[in-house]
Amino acid sequence: MQRNGAVPAPFEDAEEECPICHSKRYLRKDMKFMINPECYHKMCESCVDRIFSHGPAACPVAGCNKTLRRARFRKPTFRDLQMEREVDIRRRVAEVFNREEVDFDTLKDYNDYLNDVEDVTFNLIQNIDVEEAEAKLDAYAAANKQLIQSNMKRAKEGVDTFRARQEAAKESAQQRRKAALQEEEETRREEEEERRNLLKALDAGGDAEVLTRQSQEAMRYRAQIRKEALANEISANENANGSAQFTIRGLKKHVEKEEEEEEKPYDPFDGLSDKREYFVLQEDYGWENYDRLNKPEYSAGGYNIHEYYNRALCEAFSGLGVFIGDSSDEAPPAVASAGAALAAASPMSDDVF
Amino acid sequence: MAKLQEKTLTLLSNNKSTISTANSPFSDTSNDYAPPADLAAALNEQEKHKYIRLKQIGSGTYANVYKGHLRADPSSLVAIKKMKVQTDYKEGLSMDSIREIKFLQELSHPNIIALHSVFSSKDQNINLVIEFMPHGDLEMVIKDHDHVAYGLADVKAWMGMLGRATWFCHENFVLHRDIKPSNVLIAADGQLKLSDFGLARSFADPYQPMTHLVITNWYRPPELFYKAKYYSGVVDVWSCGCVLAQLVLRSAYIHGETDMQVLDAIVQALGQPTEENWPGVSKLENYVMMKPPTRPLTSKAEMMNLFGTLGPVGVDLLMAMLALDPRKRLTSKQVLEHEFFKIAPRPTKAADLPKKGGGEKQAAEDLKRKATLLGEGRGGKVAKKLDFGAARR
Repeated sequence: MQRNGAVPAPFEDAEEECPICHSKRYLRKDMKFMINPECYHKMCESCVDRIFSHGPAACPVAGCNKTLRRARFRKPTFRDLQMEREVDIRRRVAEVFNREEVDFDTLKDYNDYLNDVEDVTFNLIQNIDVEEAEAKLDAYAAANKQLIQSNMKRAKEGVDTFRARQEAAKESAQQRRKAALQEEEETRREEEEERRNLLKALDAGGDAEVLTRQSQEAMRYRAQIRKEALANEISANENANGSAQFTIRGLKKHVEKEEEEEEKPYDPFDGLSDKREYFVLQEDYGWENYDRLNKPEYSAGGYNIHEYYNRALCEAFSGLGVFIGDSSDEAPPAVASAGAALAAASPMSDDVF
Repeated sequence: MAKLQEKTLTLLSNNKSTISTANSPFSDTSNDYAPPADLAAALNEQEKHKYIRLKQIGSGTYANVYKGHLRADPSSLVAIKKMKVQTDYKEGLSMDSIREIKFLQELSHPNIIALHSVFSSKDQNINLVIEFMPHGDLEMVIKDHDHVAYGLADVKAWMGMLGRATWFCHENFVLHRDIKPSNVLIAADGQLKLSDFGLARSFADPYQPMTHLVITNWYRPPELFYKAKYYSGVVDVWSCGCVLAQLVLRSAYIHGETDMQVLDAIVQALGQPTEENWPGVSKLENYVMMKPPTRPLTSKAEMMNLFGTLGPVGVDLLMAMLALDPRKRLTSKQVLEHEFFKIAPRPTKAADLPKKGGGEKQAAEDLKRKATLLGEGRGGKVAKKLDFGAARR
């Protein structure tokens, strides 16, 4: 017996006996056991024939009151019947819950879904709240009939294309082998002919060395041509068969949206602007106190009084348009009169604009 | 403001249980009263709890950097920068961390690294939670000659992004003062992110002196070598110009061991600052003339020899960014407005930009492996042919 529960073809154990008729394998070498997925009680083929040949009957195992039908009896795949049952349940659940990872936005969603499915499956297997689990399964199956159908079709398509690809690969391998054989055959024929020609030429009289070299070169050249032609033929065949194509299913739709952006000219400022809302910077505010800044010991280092004007004005107006009572983030900026504000902040300038 | 208050209030109510259990004497005095120290601690604890720290991915003089992720979502990676306790700043936070926190929490721009959160861990260590940058920095790209190749369109895209970051800082009156390739990180989507605001400060008021001891010296403009105390945003533009030159040369354009050597390199590369080309320069405290003969300003033809790949317009931009006189240098806004960004080739899209590291290297390895496999495949076929021959005989 193998570790995974799979059974080697005949049941070897001579001591094995049918729990119903108690006949032993020792006496009946060809004894076969069968089970019914209603209750998974095993019995030998002859018992099944004997008990169920006249229509449905109760399971002969004491205490099991399930009504069984002959048609549903089958040979178990696994010797461990617990395993057999689990596999059946899993198959049944998987047929209903047949979504794939591509159907989900994130891996987390998919994992959550798998977790829910496993909960149902586990409950069914372990006989925990079976009613509830069954109800869940049925409800889902009823609600998602269409989806389940289409998913099933999709899965089948996947298997089909895989099979088709395998078929094509096999075929092309066969073709290659045939072509190689053919090539060998042709090479042999040509070698033969070349040798004959050589002999003839030698017969007619000539430099043996030169002739041999010539014939060898001719042969090599012809082999090269043949090889190339063959390669071309095979690759052409493959392309026609479509086996060289590689298909990946389930790729998410790639949205091309970069095209639009290409249209716009490059904006070095990236959409930002240094426009101030409440003031316009003047060339000079005529403040004598700052005249000294024009002296080289201040100006040679690059100090720029306009940067200071800008900052001073900006700080003077900062906070305008922000209302404490207004909790909304997008409070519309207060439309204070920019002109008035500027005039107030720069008394030295007589022309506001 | 209102928003902030509300937030604090909700946090307060959320933490009521924590606070009351943490400090039982206060628990039954008043419903809404919580001692401020414990509130801060509780808020800090809550913030800290949001993140999980994983392995260390880097370390420097001032900080160790760890990889981490949100507790709630392991796929959202962050980098946690744990500032080392400074020996000189026993009485509080180091200037670096204060500057970094102060400016990063204000500046929100696609090309400036995002600061997600700040919390303190035990021993009063300050931890900054910042964006995780899996693709390293621009310096790695520049240095990885073997695996990374890039062209003019890529350089233009990078300079565009760096220019935007610099302009955005200046537009918000922040001087970065440490722009260099290793402080420009590359995000997963290819965007550059300006980082390391440890030397940043806001623009100075008139007559307010600033220190000249900023910017890594290879990227430091001449006015800072001359100890200018009153300077402006164009110091960052010089650094950007050095980065542009380095992107083309694939090695540092201006470099030297000591500050004096670097200054000499500037003079050799671009010319000697004099009263003619930089009025008032001799009034700067530390102004020096290099030994005669006086090197004249570098002409455009000379620059074309070195930076020809940028094209004439690109060289114009580079020369304007590396103008000796800061008043003649382009501002960060003028850099972005330059013709260079308007002419062909169009800057590469961020996602298509070359990246250094595992990706490239791995790809190269893959290619190598494929090549050998191909060879084996051919060998196999030959063997088959020979088999056929044997079978025939």
